[in-house]
Amino acid sequence: MNPVNVLVLTGYGLNCDHETAYGFQVAGGVVSRVHINELIDGEVGLDDFQIMVFGGGFSWADDHGAGVIQAVRFKTTMGDKILEFIDRGNLILGICNGFQTLVNMGLLPALDLDYRRRSVALTYNDCGNFRDDWVTLKINPASPCVFIKGMGRVELPIRHGEGKFYTDGPTVEKLAQNNQIALQYALPDGRLAGGRFPFNPNGSINDIAGICDPTGRVFGLMPHPEAFNHWTNHPDWTRLRETRLRQGGRMGSELTWGIKILKNAVDFIRAQ
Amino acid sequence: MMPHRLEISLKPDLFDAEGDGIVKKAQVYFGIHLARVRTIQVATLDVDLSRVQLKAIQNEIFTNPVTQISSFQPLPIAFDWSIWVGYRPGVKDNPGSTAVEAIEDLLGMKLGPGESVYTSKRYCIQCAERTLQDMDRIAGQLLANDIIQQWKIFSRDSWDLEVGTGFIIPKVVLNHHPAVMTIPVDSDASLKKISDQRNLALNPNDIPFIRSYFLSKEVQAARAAVGLTEPTDIELEYISQARSDHCNHNTFQGLFRYRDLSSGREEVMDNLFETCIKAPTLQLKEEHAWVVSVLWDNAGVGRFDQDHYYVITGETHNSPSNIEAYGGAITGIVGVYRDPMGTGKGAGLVMGSYGFCVGPRDYQGELTPRLHPRRLLDGVIEGVRDGGNKSGIPTPFGQVLFHPGYMGKCLVFVTAIGIMPSRLMGQAADQKTTSAGDLVVMCGGRVGKDGIHGVTAASETFSEHTPAGHVQIGDPYTQKKMHDFLLAARDRGLIQFITDNGGGGLSSSIGESARFSNGCEIQLEKVPLKYEGLDQWEIWISESQERMTLAVRPEHVAAFLELSKKHAVESTVVGRYTDSGKLQITYQDKTCALIHMDLLTSGFPQWEFEAEWQPPGRRGLFEPVLTEPRNYNDLLPDILARPNICSKEWICRQYDHEVQGSSVIKPLVGASRDVHSDAVVIRPVLDSPKGLAFSQALLPQYSQIDTYHMTSCTIDEAVRRLIAVGARLDHMGGVDNFCWPDIQYHPVSNPDGKFKAAQLVRSCWALRDICLKYKIPLLSGKDSMYVDGHLPGPYGETHKISALETLQFSTTGVIENLEKCTTLESKLPGDLVYILGTTRNELGGSEYYERFGHTGLNVPRVFPDQFIPLYQALSRCIEQELVASAHGVYRGGIGVHLAMVAMGGNLGMKVHLKAVLGEQADYNHVILFSESAGRFIVTVDPKKKKEFENTFRGLPCACIGEVRENNEFTIEGIEGKILISILIDELKMAWKRPFGDLV
Repeated sequence: MNPVNVLVLTGYGLNCDHETAYGFQVAGGVVSRVHINELIDGEVGLDDFQIMVFGGGFSWADDHGAGVIQAVRFKTTMGDKILEFIDRGNLILGICNGFQTLVNMGLLPALDLDYRRRSVALTYNDCGNFRDDWVTLKINPASPCVFIKGMGRVELPIRHGEGKFYTDGPTVEKLAQNNQIALQYALPDGRLAGGRFPFNPNGSINDIAGICDPTGRVFGLMPHPEAFNHWTNHPDWTRLRETRLRQGGRMGSELTWGIKILKNAVDFIRAQ
Repeated sequence: MMPHRLEISLKPDLFDAEGDGIVKKAQVYFGIHLARVRTIQVATLDVDLSRVQLKAIQNEIFTNPVTQISSFQPLPIAFDWSIWVGYRPGVKDNPGSTAVEAIEDLLGMKLGPGESVYTSKRYCIQCAERTLQDMDRIAGQLLANDIIQQWKIFSRDSWDLEVGTGFIIPKVVLNHHPAVMTIPVDSDASLKKISDQRNLALNPNDIPFIRSYFLSKEVQAARAAVGLTEPTDIELEYISQARSDHCNHNTFQGLFRYRDLSSGREEVMDNLFETCIKAPTLQLKEEHAWVVSVLWDNAGVGRFDQDHYYVITGETHNSPSNIEAYGGAITGIVGVYRDPMGTGKGAGLVMGSYGFCVGPRDYQGELTPRLHPRRLLDGVIEGVRDGGNKSGIPTPFGQVLFHPGYMGKCLVFVTAIGIMPSRLMGQAADQKTTSAGDLVVMCGGRVGKDGIHGVTAASETFSEHTPAGHVQIGDPYTQKKMHDFLLAARDRGLIQFITDNGGGGLSSSIGESARFSNGCEIQLEKVPLKYEGLDQWEIWISESQERMTLAVRPEHVAAFLELSKKHAVESTVVGRYTDSGKLQITYQDKTCALIHMDLLTSGFPQWEFEAEWQPPGRRGLFEPVLTEPRNYNDLLPDILARPNICSKEWICRQYDHEVQGSSVIKPLVGASRDVHSDAVVIRPVLDSPKGLAFSQALLPQYSQIDTYHMTSCTIDEAVRRLIAVGARLDHMGGVDNFCWPDIQYHPVSNPDGKFKAAQLVRSCWALRDICLKYKIPLLSGKDSMYVDGHLPGPYGETHKISALETLQFSTTGVIENLEKCTTLESKLPGDLVYILGTTRNELGGSEYYERFGHTGLNVPRVFPDQFIPLYQALSRCIEQELVASAHGVYRGGIGVHLAMVAMGGNLGMKVHLKAVLGEQADYNHVILFSESAGRFIVTVDPKKKKEFENTFRGLPCACIGEVRENNEFTIEGIEGKILISILIDELKMAWKRPFGDLV
């Protein structure tokens, strides 16, 4: 079986690279943590990889808009290489700061397959502050997004100050029509959050938490799948364990939702 | 060259959260009603750029086409008043430097010398008839701090649509030619005089010794050989730094003459550090195989597993935070993160924690501190938030404590934990040394006038271009790049020695690292500077942040510098280590310092203190005459709503506590994830079943009665907090952080100095006694003395305010299987509620007494021999999954902490105080609110009742009630009648009320 090679970016203030690499290993990928400059200087080539991950963090400290400077760096140095990477049927995942970077590069939402236009934004949370909390997410089963196949209601942590998804009405319309809205913030019972804080933690329009490109192979989301890499990451795990114990059961047999998202990516490439 | 000013703002139809926050604060803090505030980001480009380049920068970097508008002309946003806020010259402008990086990236060019980008903000304020005074208040007390920032206020009429704010370029221009001065040492008096003039703060007792060194024949001969005569300013600055209490801990190494005035007992304590910290820790190191490295490095090292060590240290950053809360706190947390990076051959950071002690948030008294406690707290919270979050290090634990004593000086505790491989290239990773021939490399940030003579500089007056860098703003971005680089260099075996640049800057990092090789030669002109014109002594002692000092072998240096470049980190060779026995500094080939390596470790006189103790009874303390309250139903919610008990959720939520994917027991737990957990547990090695538990405790209120018991109770609480989540006594490390008022007696300026000195001695005794009993080695520790302040009063007089004698104690424990850990909240209805431990009549210093303005006398005490078996039994129960929840009883007593368990579970509870095991605890209010140590609340599955109780045979363990399906919290008094019957939701509402609306 061919290895599925995953590239996880590091450097310049990115900071989720270790757990993202770990998550993809658990999901069955062969992972390399690559410094942004190693990629730009050509020491490491994209051709050797099938999955590229723009991970979480504070690239260039996020001083001038989250992910903006990282996007400039990639657009000016290897914009075309990345487009070719997508054309070859590969996958790109942007998590949190990575999502912010993808929309600033124009790789998302890539309406009409235009991968260069900035048409949506992730801006300051309405609550006015950085926020760390777990959220419930509604998955769009009709979405072409390969990362969320076969999943229902999901819980993941969010950790950001600039996660409010914003764009104009017509663009939202199109995203909805194309089922590019892959993930939405929901109430604990699974219904949409309807903008209600803290279920929608940042004021994203239409509760949007993650979107994909029209092909479903480029995916960006604010929540952190890599931070749910073990069942003991879940905020309720001691309660769940105790309840399970009383029923004579044990926890930890099945994959976490976070790992499933990464495994969907690995399995998709493997199935090619 | 014409500068350019770009103004950027959110599109008019977008919600401006920052502006909205200012409207809210202006209303709540000052009662000033503002209709609307819009914020404008300003980038002033002091760079020679073409029209085309400007357009590119505007569109690609500074303007988001979806959300923002921007213009090189003033943005036409309506206002009644507009306030511009920018940095003073020399203050770290982090966004400015990333802007430079981005511009150089986009345009593929390098900025010329003197070219730079400065960021600032302009606020457009709409409000009905507000005065210039109102605006100045908002600017000075909400938007800016004159220590680091400057502001300009424009009224609608005074605004010029074309000119706008004009161009304000906070560029540092020193116009100074660096020069070395020599200082005469002909007499003690003259040296003392110069010491005072230059803020050298030399201890008078040190002066004769310093002179005798420079006057000795052998020294003078060696100096003459390199063209030196009298001591130079750089040499005396170096000695002054090295001898400072901050660097040398003279207080703890001092000689204490302790006298108990009631018993007449006298005792001489020669060196509290040696006797109460070092000796016990070394003894325990022998007993515990897991203790790897203590008492010499930047942080202590313990074994996590076969392949990994963990590293821990704790620091304070009080004085700077007291002046500039945000800058002080971010510098503090980013700074303490360099300690693990500089421990052994370097550790990666895995978590941090915070402790804030400040005045009452709603203080309305007549004293006027520089920063109101509310504003100060806002600032330190944000500083630690940005410092931790932007470093990619989780901040899962912390505490906040309010007391008027911290109005004089606030306390900001920051603690850092790292992980390193146990071996690197076959060598022990905790070991390091410098050898003759190794190169001295400075890595990271550049050197400016930052932090020179620390706070003394704060009183200097500012001119337009004099740097205000003495108050610093940490730069987590620069440090994160350095962190990643250094770990990569470490793993390639390129590092022989590493330490951080903190207090004392290069003078301390190079001075101390050179002791291993026994000498060094430094070429000071090689040190990269932020701006020209620094004197040699300033370069040597500057505390500019984000710097490490390393020893690199000559054959490795090329690879090291190459890797450094790859990671966009600046590294510079500034000299080499020698075995000459001397520290020699040259500047452009001329020697400006030559100091024998053994000078600072030899012969300086020991500090001496008179310590006089008077027992609390003799000091007039007594138990208040207080009858039982009748209305417990109102009392309990009121206690829950007290500032030191109530929910601090708003702080936890703005700290990233899950980055690195290692979060297991979170800061907030329970069915609604909103109750503060006893401790946190992380999985620092993601593929390991082991966990690292961490907690901290602060109980300074007890110092009002006896610091011995303050200290033992603080340690006991920190221990129980770890036990409660599943840690064990047999692997528990401690970190002590002392914050004490001045203890040097002075009849006028410190009349109670002898008593404070005695309090310190007693505290150290308790530290020694309790740590030996619990077998807790002190992996690390720090002391911060002089937590006093002089506050202006209403009539132009000033009042000396001293903080409570405070010890923050941190505990770490390694958990074999973290899937066995538990949390505090009740889990299922029908579970039995137990109290472990004995409740005594110990309301002295309690939250309950404080509620009524009493101090009392019966302070809680710790009985290790009774407590230890109980703790061990509970650890076994948790490992065997016999308990559904476990929670320590802390501040506020059983009443408060039963409520925590119930609120956590969102489940009802009914308990009977009759069943609580007590000694002289004969009244309901004593049982409910006594803060006796050594106690836990646990809930147990009825099916496991027998097995559980067997584990505690012969130990104080009593079933006092059960968890209920309903929402009612019911407490039955000793006489059997209902004392409290209240809904969990009501308790929670009360507990969240004080800070519930903060985000």
